[in-house]
Amino acid sequence: MADLYDETAAEREMATHEASQPRKGFFTDTTLCIGCKACEVACKEWNQLPADGYTFSGNSYDNTGQLSGSTWRHVAFVEQLTRDAAAPPATAKDERAQQVVHTDGARWLMESDVCKHCTHAACLDVCPTGALVRTEFGTVVVQQDVCNGCGYCVPACPFGVIDKRDDDGHAGKCTLCYDRLKDGETPACAKACPTESIQYGDLEELRVRADARLVKLRDEGRYVDASLYLRDTDDGIGGAGAFFLLLDKPEVYGLPPDPFDTTRDLGKLWRQAAYAALALVGVTALAAFGAKR
Amino acid sequence: MIEAHDGRTSQSYYGRPIVKPHVWRPYIPWYFWIGGAAGAAAVECVCARMRGAHRLATVEKRAALAGVLIAPVLLIADLGVPARFVNMLRVFKLTSPMNMGTWILSAFGGAIAGSTAAEILGWQRTSRALEVVAGGIGPALTVYTAVLVADTATPVWHAAGDTLPFVFAASGVASAGAIGAAFAPREESGSARRLMIGGAIGLLIAGGTMETRLGPLLAEPYRTGKAGEFRTTSMLLSLAGIAIGTLGRKSQTATRVAAACIAGACILERFAVTTAGKQSALDPKYTVEPQRARLDQARQPAGASRK
Repeated sequence: MADLYDETAAEREMATHEASQPRKGFFTDTTLCIGCKACEVACKEWNQLPADGYTFSGNSYDNTGQLSGSTWRHVAFVEQLTRDAAAPPATAKDERAQQVVHTDGARWLMESDVCKHCTHAACLDVCPTGALVRTEFGTVVVQQDVCNGCGYCVPACPFGVIDKRDDDGHAGKCTLCYDRLKDGETPACAKACPTESIQYGDLEELRVRADARLVKLRDEGRYVDASLYLRDTDDGIGGAGAFFLLLDKPEVYGLPPDPFDTTRDLGKLWRQAAYAALALVGVTALAAFGAKR
Repeated sequence: MIEAHDGRTSQSYYGRPIVKPHVWRPYIPWYFWIGGAAGAAAVECVCARMRGAHRLATVEKRAALAGVLIAPVLLIADLGVPARFVNMLRVFKLTSPMNMGTWILSAFGGAIAGSTAAEILGWQRTSRALEVVAGGIGPALTVYTAVLVADTATPVWHAAGDTLPFVFAASGVASAGAIGAAFAPREESGSARRLMIGGAIGLLIAGGTMETRLGPLLAEPYRTGKAGEFRTTSMLLSLAGIAIGTLGRKSQTATRVAAACIAGACILERFAVTTAGKQSALDPKYTVEPQRARLDQARQPAGASRK
């Protein structure tokens, strides 16, 4: 990664040891998102990511569908056509049917999704080459010149963020614009966001800002269901570098309600494997020495 | 979107997956089988040697050698950037079962290849000593792949972390037994035949236990679609192999048919595991419902604290 930057060895050394660097992150306030997808475009342009082709989901304005190795921002469009019904319509056909009946209660929830830059990052833990690293900004980045495309990080991520790219065979995901951060710039998506739905900054400060925002929204009585997702550090991933203000359950936006880094169970897994290995030896020995012949 | 299951409902974003399914090609389940069989074969080799069944020991050793020659080819072929295979050996990373597995496979391969080389050179003591080393590493090679898949967010893999190593161990044992039963001379292969039948029974028990402990929701991916077909065929082949191998134990032909059935059952079991993993990742209910249940459970005693 370092050879991408015109730095002297001494400067690089400094950067590595700069422990005073505060952790950077995103706070995505979905109440402000207007679904313009400027973040998606800005991300693709800055990071020189290939287009996804012309595909139409046929169920919403979301034709991106999901985060992938070459799509590092994804705007979700949740269309809830009745306020009290817990769920949006199941099919396009139902949607049309309901639209006629319940035009007044409709609401759209839009959310720009991104890599969460977890404190306990499963992708980083399982990476067998050390290609996934934590940067001096506290973010999680794939080193493209080290990754060998084993694909282990793909099923490991509890959010389904990281994916293997077909074109170059590497794993790809949001870097929080590592190159821009190095120059003290704001990540491309946050820079392009016209409503400040995507806010970039020091994580501690963003948390304070988010708490205040939540209180304000509830006091105003407009968004009583609002909640902060991945803001706290006591969850299964130890808190995220990118957290969200949501207006419905996480799964409504395609996010897991209680994500966790499976590394926490690794000791248990190896212990069970040790028992299985002992059983293997025991059975083999029994077959060999247990009978008369 | 509402999806009903057993009277419960879970919501999702247009039914789209939350976690990503694995992107491994069929090289990987083939590797799981071959690596697993090679590891168990090394253990059987040592046991046979100790009993003086040298020809059986040689058959198992050749099988292990073949395994470690094919295994890296399969693993490298699946990489996005095959030339960077060696990057896995630049680090020693305890949190990555795949990295640990690469070291296990390398050590095992070195021991088996070294033992074979020593055998050719006529250094019998070195050869035997390295066989024991391989026999010691073999069980790890057989079961680490279960840890590898269980250490992911794939619902049916992670939730089966307690039973999956036993499924993989049983599959390895049955396959090593089948190899010995099919290729070693009859007067020496008694233990391999017992191992083959025992392993096949173990595979049925371990697979059944895994499904039961996964519960009705997470057992679904093992019972539906392609994974369901793999698993059912695997169980039928196991049963056929056990029946033919037991009833026809006096006939070498029947033993070989049984060995083929049981080896096939073991291969299909690995495909069932990788396919069920994919199926469970593709439907968000397998991710959401267990997590919701966990949250609800955690919330009850604590009171009204909101997450």
